[in-house]
Amino acid sequence: MRVLVLGTSSGAGKTTVCAMICRHLMREGLDPVPFKALNLSLNSYATRDGGEIGIGQAFQAWSCGLEPETDMNPILLKPSGGGVIQMVLRGKPHQDVTKDCPMDRAAAMDAAAEAYSRLSSEHGFVVCEGSGSPAELNLIERDIANVGLMRRLGIPAILVGDIERGGVFAAIYGTWLLIPEDVRPLVKGFVINRFRGEPSILRSGIEEVERLTGMRCLGVLPYMHLRFPDEDSLSSSEGKLEGSDARSAFMDNMDELTDACERELDFEALEEIARS
Amino acid sequence: MDCIKKKVNEELEAGWIGPNTACDYHPCHFTGQDCTFCYCPFYPCEDEDLGSWLIGRRGQRVWNCTECLLIHRQPVCRYIVDRVGELGITQAGDPRFKDIHGEVKDRFYRMGRALMVVGATSDAGKSVTVAAICRILHRRGLLVAPFKSQNMSLNSKVTMGGSEIAMIQTLQSKAAGLKNPDSHMNPILLKPKGDTVSQVMVLGKPYADYDVESYYDEFVPGPGREIVRENVEFLKKRYDCVIMEGAGSPAEINIYDRDIANMGAAKIADADVILVVNVDWGGSFAYALGTIRLIPEEDRGRIKGVIFNNIRGSTDSFRSAIPEFERLAGVPVIGVVPHADVVLPSEDSEGLRGVRTKGDGKCLIGVVRFPRIANFTDIDPLFLEDVSVVFVEQASDLDGVDAVVLPGTKNTVTDMRWMTENGIADKLRELRGKIPIVGICGGYQMMGRTIDDSNGIEGGVPGTVMEGLGFFDNTARWGAYEKRIANCTGRMLVGEGGEVTGYELHMGMSEVNEKPLFEIGGRFDSGPQPEGSVREDEMLFGTYLHGIFDRKPFRKYFLSFVSHDGRRVDTADTRDYDEIMEENIDKLADVFEANMDVDALMGILGGSQ
Repeated sequence: MRVLVLGTSSGAGKTTVCAMICRHLMREGLDPVPFKALNLSLNSYATRDGGEIGIGQAFQAWSCGLEPETDMNPILLKPSGGGVIQMVLRGKPHQDVTKDCPMDRAAAMDAAAEAYSRLSSEHGFVVCEGSGSPAELNLIERDIANVGLMRRLGIPAILVGDIERGGVFAAIYGTWLLIPEDVRPLVKGFVINRFRGEPSILRSGIEEVERLTGMRCLGVLPYMHLRFPDEDSLSSSEGKLEGSDARSAFMDNMDELTDACERELDFEALEEIARS
Repeated sequence: MDCIKKKVNEELEAGWIGPNTACDYHPCHFTGQDCTFCYCPFYPCEDEDLGSWLIGRRGQRVWNCTECLLIHRQPVCRYIVDRVGELGITQAGDPRFKDIHGEVKDRFYRMGRALMVVGATSDAGKSVTVAAICRILHRRGLLVAPFKSQNMSLNSKVTMGGSEIAMIQTLQSKAAGLKNPDSHMNPILLKPKGDTVSQVMVLGKPYADYDVESYYDEFVPGPGREIVRENVEFLKKRYDCVIMEGAGSPAEINIYDRDIANMGAAKIADADVILVVNVDWGGSFAYALGTIRLIPEEDRGRIKGVIFNNIRGSTDSFRSAIPEFERLAGVPVIGVVPHADVVLPSEDSEGLRGVRTKGDGKCLIGVVRFPRIANFTDIDPLFLEDVSVVFVEQASDLDGVDAVVLPGTKNTVTDMRWMTENGIADKLRELRGKIPIVGICGGYQMMGRTIDDSNGIEGGVPGTVMEGLGFFDNTARWGAYEKRIANCTGRMLVGEGGEVTGYELHMGMSEVNEKPLFEIGGRFDSGPQPEGSVREDEMLFGTYLHGIFDRKPFRKYFLSFVSHDGRRVDTADTRDYDEIMEENIDKLADVFEANMDVDALMGILGGSQ
């Protein structure tokens, strides 16, 4: 089983939702593993075998009860200033990406597909996280972690929209509209994240989006004040989390979050999507 | 009347004078106004497009045209002066003024056009876009008014007429070159009181408290729509353009039919609409397309342009996708605007969410972040100086601060309790006399000996009497459910003296037994009144005046008590905050003007109605 969690924007809550799904699937004994083809982040984690991956996948790995490994995030892009981005491939520095020296997209896509296949053959459920928004019109054809992954591997997907800043129905509908038609049927569900209030007020809006897109709403997740370390706010924690208080504090928090969200998210529907 | 006649006679004799920059009050209405007729020769014109009847203090009918701007437009003044010359009119009250008034109306008067700016999300950049458009149109000689039908904000200001409106509309009216923002520009102001209840202010005065449900079920379909209609009409009668700002997203389809803040208001005002999207978070094409497509077809046609806002870095790649976006959306993109590096006050607590520190100065000022913090734009001018702010949420956040600001709060009683329970109050008592502490409004009330809410007006629990910080021998009391809303000017009674301006917005009054900090008197009030409290030897300052750091004398005075590592803080930028805002509005408008299709904007404005 596998599912790709896409976000309608950066910060929509993809990383957290993936970690929560991982935690739930682990509790269910479904042997989940996290995967994010491409991460754009300065915050990385050093795996035991000396590779470098995005910190988000380390947290997700722990949520699965696994040790982080480089396959979980085969491509890491680290902006190093002055228009230069260091590309980390399979955990090792690979090239400096600049305007004149673009990323070797084909190699990256291959690396992503290989890593995914290994994880998929070793685990029961691959929980894939998208990168940014999948609907950046100017970037779609060069995309790796969202549309790229769907095209290459046919992974079914769900969309996470953040309601806190408003316009969530527009974000979900607009994202769905902009995902190229060849992969659009793979996007089968959506989740509304960070809601404060009584969810019934959203009913008519959710139904309208379901009618317009044919996607299913898998749930409305509550706004929670979490100590989940945001990928981009952990600059001082590189590789220092293992066995630390931060890690156990995170796991306690992760359990609280999973408890709260398990009630709101339709996991049966999610598994159905993951099997399709 | 005789006095007005005498003035008009003098004006007729003087002829056309244009803007009178020598006048102390210039510009009393808007930048670039014509002052030939400081007193209107048509008075009382009794033209209900321009004014209205009021009942005076002695019960008589008075023609009120204080908000008419027609007589201050240059072409109008020139025309009147020419006609007066041709007809040989020398005396006020000449019956032929009626004819000239008719001619002026035919030639120069038309209903203004409304344009609305909606955002795909909160924080999309609506407010700054409205401010930028106001300034761009003002630069082209148009008379412009900002408008936001319904604003939920804890940051408000007081108009000259003593009404409370959202801070951001006062900023936008400044961008429009207007001297005096008025309550028509933000007729409905929601001030959150708790998690679900808001105090609804109508035309700047408390109206009633509503929870979310009753607001949408009762207020919106009842008085709400009518209030929006009346006020937008009022502005359209007096200005060339009314630039309206939406609230949140216009595509919240679950509450679409109950909306009076976005497309609902656009319909009432017959306004065309521009959609603004913040590119910084990603997904902006999706947000824009989804918003347009979710708006019901009958209203969708109002959307005439999209502005992509707040792009960091190169816009080339982004621009390459615009033709495709336009094809899908059926709406032209009229602006691709880079991130503008300007200093403008943030609209509401969104701007504070998750923010722990702000500024990059050496000296550290702790601002206690009450759960019900209000009017925290008060601290913005501090960032002009060598200052950083840390938002204090627990006692330990006060470690190492060089000064403390206790800002305003929507609820002095519950926030005093919060501060007592979490230990901040005791920590402040320890810091007394060691570093300067200033309290503003609610923060000032807390600095007193006693907070007496026996009537339960502030906190909702009758019989509440609690200890304050005890820094001043004052008692704050809530006698009745009433609010003091006043715009004040005055002078400092401490330091080197100097002028202060500010505004009061509070429930509850203080019984003061301390040396006053200021002496204030509203322009039309009775004599000067003492205001605030000061104990200079203990570096304790308290005042009800918001905006107290805007003008340099008090800012400089307060900072003169602050030292960091034993060194006094230099007050580098000693200009008034107003001047700096003016500069930043210009910078903002420059960025928009350079990256926006202004002809398209003018076309949209010309094409509506």
